[in-house]
Amino acid sequence: GVYAYLEMLGAQAHEAALKQEEKEQQEEKLDRLKKRVQELRLQRDELRAKVDLQEKRQLGKEGLVSEPAQPSARSVIEWKIRSLRALLQIFYLTGISGKPTKQGVCFCISTAYEGTYLDTYYVDLLTAADVQIYRHSIPVFIPLGQIAKKYLQTDIRRFLAVLSEHLNAYAGRRFQVEQLQEHFSEQIEGPLQKNSLCNLLLFKYNVSSKSKTFLLNAKLLYGDICCSLPTEVTVSCS
Amino acid sequence: MDEAVAEYIRRTVLKIPRDEIKAVVQKWGFLSEAQLQTINFHQTKESVSQKVVQLCEENSAGIKQAAVLDIIYNHIYPDKRVWSVYQMNKAGEEIEFFDLTDFKERFKRQLRSALNNVTINFREYEDNAIWIRVAWGTPHTKPNQYKTSYVVYHSQTPYVFISPSVFKSTLPLLCQALVFASNYYDIRGMELRGRSLNSLKDIVFKKYSQNFQTYYPKPLQERNVAPESGMYRLIRENRNEKERIQRVNQEVFGDGPLPKIEFAQYKLETMFKSDQTMDVLDKKEPFRCLVRFSSPHLLESLRSLAPAGMADAPLSPLLTCIPQKARNYFKIREKKGPHPGSFVSP
Repeated sequence: GVYAYLEMLGAQAHEAALKQEEKEQQEEKLDRLKKRVQELRLQRDELRAKVDLQEKRQLGKEGLVSEPAQPSARSVIEWKIRSLRALLQIFYLTGISGKPTKQGVCFCISTAYEGTYLDTYYVDLLTAADVQIYRHSIPVFIPLGQIAKKYLQTDIRRFLAVLSEHLNAYAGRRFQVEQLQEHFSEQIEGPLQKNSLCNLLLFKYNVSSKSKTFLLNAKLLYGDICCSLPTEVTVSCS
Repeated sequence: MDEAVAEYIRRTVLKIPRDEIKAVVQKWGFLSEAQLQTINFHQTKESVSQKVVQLCEENSAGIKQAAVLDIIYNHIYPDKRVWSVYQMNKAGEEIEFFDLTDFKERFKRQLRSALNNVTINFREYEDNAIWIRVAWGTPHTKPNQYKTSYVVYHSQTPYVFISPSVFKSTLPLLCQALVFASNYYDIRGMELRGRSLNSLKDIVFKKYSQNFQTYYPKPLQERNVAPESGMYRLIRENRNEKERIQRVNQEVFGDGPLPKIEFAQYKLETMFKSDQTMDVLDKKEPFRCLVRFSSPHLLESLRSLAPAGMADAPLSPLLTCIPQKARNYFKIREKKGPHPGSFVSP
């Protein structure tokens, strides 16, 4: 009946699978042996090169220039991979790196302040007809629209440099505010007033001198939002 | 202390879950530690709220303190209200310094010039969020503390999150005051609404995890290979298809948590397409209908549709564009195939 037929199909499938398995095992073995042959050949080349070098060194004692050992194909590739990895790492450390995508490029901008790495932001660009921003993770108070209008179509490098400047300056200012609150919490009186861009700070702090304590009002204005230092500081005593 | 204020404080405390009353009242900071010690928070809520009111009486609480308690309550439980997102437009390209004191003054001045009988309170939080609470009265009656609007605004951004009061007429007054105070020149609704304020913020501030491709080495995730079972070599059905769905899903939704929205609404104004023989509609008019998706967590459920086998991957871009387009109300008109129409002004 049906069940017997299914059993027979099952058994056939099983046999076919076994045969397939055997075939695959043989192919794997062949591959392994081929690889082994290649490895041995490389070894032989390297050893030959060493022998040549030694011979030439012997001769070189009499003033002949010795030829550098022939780099094997494998070590050349390894060196290429290492230097590419190092290059990618360097680009990441410089703060701007990019990766091509199906429709364009995705840039990654890392921020840092005085040796501390801070947040990372992304801009995903389409490069079909003209350059367009597909999506991004840039905070909304950074004037991305303005920067893009000025530079995106004409000079992508400049666009990225200017954007990176804005982001690094913002990250630096915010980091400084956090550090201030963390390390000087004893001296600061009351809440510290700031805004999203951290370009205006208002706070009160205590300063002691000759056993007298004074309460000072500080106002820091950061006129240049590409800069992480204030342009105007007002300190008054109440 | 005013009877009305006492009642208001009592009712606000009653809204808080019993286990959390202590924390909220502490955050409020109006009662001293010593006073808080005298409250037995394990009693019934009614007793606790009575005791709180008693202590507030000792400290002569006024409307301002009661309003602050209300703000704190709404800040901790924002999903009790529905929030709509609005976007303001600026004329110039100047980078503002945004002085908070200036903003508050301008807001109060503009709102009071339109309607004097309002209670306005502000509270700022560490993440630069400014919470504004407005209780509305009429030209002839005092403000009703139970009819409030809430506004959450982050300085130097064009986005405002509004939870309006039941009085529809107060919304334009609120918008006007905001535009004036923040130095913008106009405001429009973004067709983005939900209960989870933080998710709405994540969507417009682009803080949700978008799947950006980078070279930065990510730790490789181990893929669990299911052990081949049994006597016969059973192969997982449709393995390629399942993997494709996973891949497409991951490209669209990413791996991380998605912002929480509760519904998406599509207003269709498209022509009914049918066989020529089945002329259902004689008039060539758009077939109007409204499609509404609702879920406790809509985007998460959309993400699980394809892997669960309930929909084809990739999903329609009308569904997947919600976080990127920052809207969940759409109008779809006939125009060489459906596509999201332009936004509707409030």
